[in-house]
Amino acid sequence: MYIPRSILVLLLIIYLLFLLSVDWINQSAGGWYRPFFVGFIVILVASWSHREQDSDEF
Amino acid sequence: MNFEVSTIVALGSGYLALLFGIAFVTERGWIPEKIVRHPIIYVLSLGVFASVWAYYTSIGNAQRDGYGYLAGSIGISLAFLLSPLLLRPLLELTRTYQLSSLADLVAFRYRSPWAGTASTLVILIAVIPLIALQIRAVSDTAFLLSPEAEQGSFAIGFCVIITLFSILFGTSRRAGRTQYDGLVMAIAFESLVKLIAFLVVGAFAVYGAFGSFDGLDQWLQEQPELVASLKNTDYFSSFHVMALLFFTAAVAMPHMFYVTFTGNNGQRALSFASWGLPLYFLLLSLPVLPILWAGLQSGSSVQVEYFPVIIGAAYEAPLISLLAYLGGLSAASGLIIVITLALSNMCLNHLILPIYQPKANEDIYRWLLWKRRTLITAIIWLGFLFHYLPSEQISIQVIGIVAFTACLQFMPGIVAILYWPVANKKGFLWGLGAGVLIWFLFLMLPLLSDTDPLALVSVNWREITALSLITNCVLFVAVSLFSTSSDAERSSADICTLDTIKRRKRSGLVAKSPRDFIKSLSKPLGGKTANREVARALKDLKIDQNDRRPYAMQQLRGKLEANLSGLLGPSIAREIIDGYLPYSIVSEHGSSDLNVIENRIEAYRSNLSGMAADLDNLRRYHRQILLDLPLGVCSLSTDNEVIMWNRAMEQFTQLDSANVVGSQLIDLSDPWLSLFANFIDDDANHSYKYVFELDDQKRTVNLHKALIEQTSNPDSIHEGVIILLEDITEMEILEAGLTHSERLASIGRLAAGVAHEIGNPITGIACLAQTIRDEYDDKELLNLAEQIIEQTDRTSTILKSLVNFAHAGTNKTQYVSEIVTISECMAQAQTLVSLDRKSKELSLRIDCDPDAKVLGDSQRLLQVLINLINNARDASQANGEVLLQARVLGEIVEIAVVDEGIGIPLAIKDRVFDPFFTTKEAGEGTGLGLSLVFSIIEDLGGDIDIISPANEDTGGTRVLLRFPCYHSDSVTH
Repeated sequence: MYIPRSILVLLLIIYLLFLLSVDWINQSAGGWYRPFFVGFIVILVASWSHREQDSDEF
Repeated sequence: MNFEVSTIVALGSGYLALLFGIAFVTERGWIPEKIVRHPIIYVLSLGVFASVWAYYTSIGNAQRDGYGYLAGSIGISLAFLLSPLLLRPLLELTRTYQLSSLADLVAFRYRSPWAGTASTLVILIAVIPLIALQIRAVSDTAFLLSPEAEQGSFAIGFCVIITLFSILFGTSRRAGRTQYDGLVMAIAFESLVKLIAFLVVGAFAVYGAFGSFDGLDQWLQEQPELVASLKNTDYFSSFHVMALLFFTAAVAMPHMFYVTFTGNNGQRALSFASWGLPLYFLLLSLPVLPILWAGLQSGSSVQVEYFPVIIGAAYEAPLISLLAYLGGLSAASGLIIVITLALSNMCLNHLILPIYQPKANEDIYRWLLWKRRTLITAIIWLGFLFHYLPSEQISIQVIGIVAFTACLQFMPGIVAILYWPVANKKGFLWGLGAGVLIWFLFLMLPLLSDTDPLALVSVNWREITALSLITNCVLFVAVSLFSTSSDAERSSADICTLDTIKRRKRSGLVAKSPRDFIKSLSKPLGGKTANREVARALKDLKIDQNDRRPYAMQQLRGKLEANLSGLLGPSIAREIIDGYLPYSIVSEHGSSDLNVIENRIEAYRSNLSGMAADLDNLRRYHRQILLDLPLGVCSLSTDNEVIMWNRAMEQFTQLDSANVVGSQLIDLSDPWLSLFANFIDDDANHSYKYVFELDDQKRTVNLHKALIEQTSNPDSIHEGVIILLEDITEMEILEAGLTHSERLASIGRLAAGVAHEIGNPITGIACLAQTIRDEYDDKELLNLAEQIIEQTDRTSTILKSLVNFAHAGTNKTQYVSEIVTISECMAQAQTLVSLDRKSKELSLRIDCDPDAKVLGDSQRLLQVLINLINNARDASQANGEVLLQARVLGEIVEIAVVDEGIGIPLAIKDRVFDPFFTTKEAGEGTGLGLSLVFSIIEDLGGDIDIISPANEDTGGTRVLLRFPCYHSDSVTH
């Protein structure tokens, strides 16, 4: 099974962000919007990882 | 909150009329195509997935599950973030084979009409509750805004308008397969409206209900239990299951499949959507919590899901309520329109067509169009009827979960399409059947009956979901492993699976030409439809109507199957194609079609890395060697199909490889057919100096052949033959020229010898004549002696010139530097040329300035003049005139040789000085004359120019030679 490198990087970043942000999001004094902040970072990384996908025509 | 019924009706009708308008202007082409086909429009059209579930149900989910309400958005976002793993390969499959629904896809992969039918039935049963959910949400919210109205009338009115819209813009008269730009644009607009409406309502919740973000924070600090419930999400239970449900829904839900794959404009759009759609869902999830909290603060007793609609009225901003209602209407209408279109196609292809097909003499397109319209109407009104069935106590969240859980049962089958070639239809049907049975018994049935589904859900719907999925997977794997796949299934698995490149062996078709295709397809489709379909496939493939190449015919068959699959579904298409366009021999599985393998590797190569990339580079390198080889290369398969036709072969034969590759050898025109066929039949592996005629010219080639040894199949003797063709025509001409030159040189040496031998007796005769002149007084005798002396002098001059010319042809590299009088040189040339029999009819005129002198080698200059005069003579008609002219132009002596002959064509003017270039017949000229002239002139420090035509009216050629002029006074100085 072929997995593009950029997708592997994306998966790794999502996993690391998940590990790092769970406690931060659930802090009782934390803002309710924190998960959205993390989501936005994931989308930024995704837009980068999909930037060169156009040439991959299966 | 009490709006007039007319206000709600006018708002809803006006909005849906606006949708009509957008679809209409798009269909008319009034919106530029670059906007309609922009990836943003694709992303927004994918926003159709954010239905009432995302718009209303997420508020209730947020109250129950805290951040767990994000699970749905995360699930669908992951499907797009990881699109290269699932969506991109599926997109390629669906586009190549024109598969417009999940049922088409599974029927294609598992080569079973039953798989398609079962999938359609399951999706139909699962999705009707989802349609009902939309209708219920619209009527509920309308009733909330206008409690005086009858709730049912809202639902009926809504369904009528949606039915009209779907029929008008979702079904086209254009064969039912083109992209529905108007529909896509309208759906994108709807997604934009609901996003803006939701964001505005969210902003109102913050600033209208709480005054500001600080106010919201302050209120939250006073509600610690809310914050605690928000952050105590149970990540290991419903969150994961919900995310999985929505991940699968990205492919399994008919409306998502329809928009993702059928409405797609290319890989670029999908790449854009891979992060664009997650961003859309992120923005849509953002206002959920503020809306929930604003609703809670208002103390409203309305069902929490409908808070977006009531908070406007609760905080005295009725326009916000109307806007929220509009957003909900957008969400509901968009989903119903797309889902009914997708479902109508599925039902038509997999429920109707397998049992009832149009007759061949009917207009198939019209028949399909009306069946599709009928189905759209039936599905929408089925949803309408269903929305009465569940008790009003059942929340819309429960209805949604039931629908999504049914679609989850397709996940094992979808994953296996791409990643497990062993899977077969028995495994798929058993797994799907078991999973759906559990789903129906424990989730769907309680929803329909009066048993308490809420209680059932509260027991644990997650466990039921997991149980159904596990049962499905276990049976799918076990049955697939312990049952055998058919040959057709294995073939489909090869096409769909990413890790295999095995293909069926090429085999001949019974139909040999497009005309045969039309004739065969006329039986099931009718003449008109068959003509239209074949013409369309030919146009798509850019194949000529008279093409008969087997490879092209196989491509045409594949394209027709794909096109018919888009029209009638893959099962019927396959049935028609296999039945009416059969192969002439049964193809073997597991062998290879080199063209298909090469195309696939070429398309896939950007994904190769490591050893695979190295091997591919090696393959390309070897292939490039063959393509660029200066020898013609042609490889043939065992059945004499042309596999390779390299560039040298293209140049030599003037046959484009694109037109030859895939042809049978017998399809080649003569002389190539006879050339190759005779050589292949010949026992010898080499054929030297094979002469044949091409365009009335003799061509000479060497041919070599070798058998391609079979490596994988021991039963076959070889895999084909490779032929090398070496064009030696030029070399043959060179050899002939050299032989001729050698012969001329021999004659020259012989002539010099003969001249020398003749010179001795002539000298003797001259001496005797001089003796007579000196010693006798007889006048008559003296006169005779004078004449003898005169004639012997003339003969001596001729012989001397001949000997000098012969000596000039030797490999002399040292030039004599002497004063050459051009007039004398011209006279000598005239004498020598006149000896040639061919020059008898030539009129040679000399016009020479007596002062024209140059410093150089007289014999070399003589040779130049003779060569030029001979060329002028050959180009002239009989009795033509050749003018030798010499003028002094200041410091330059210009010598011109002018004829009135045929002139020199512009195309070859630059090549006349090339060695061995000649326009004369073989044996007539060596092609060395002008080359030698050019070389001598350069050595003598002059230059040469050719003007042709010499005169615009009479034509001819003027050869100009220029040398530095010799002045006696300059030497004195």
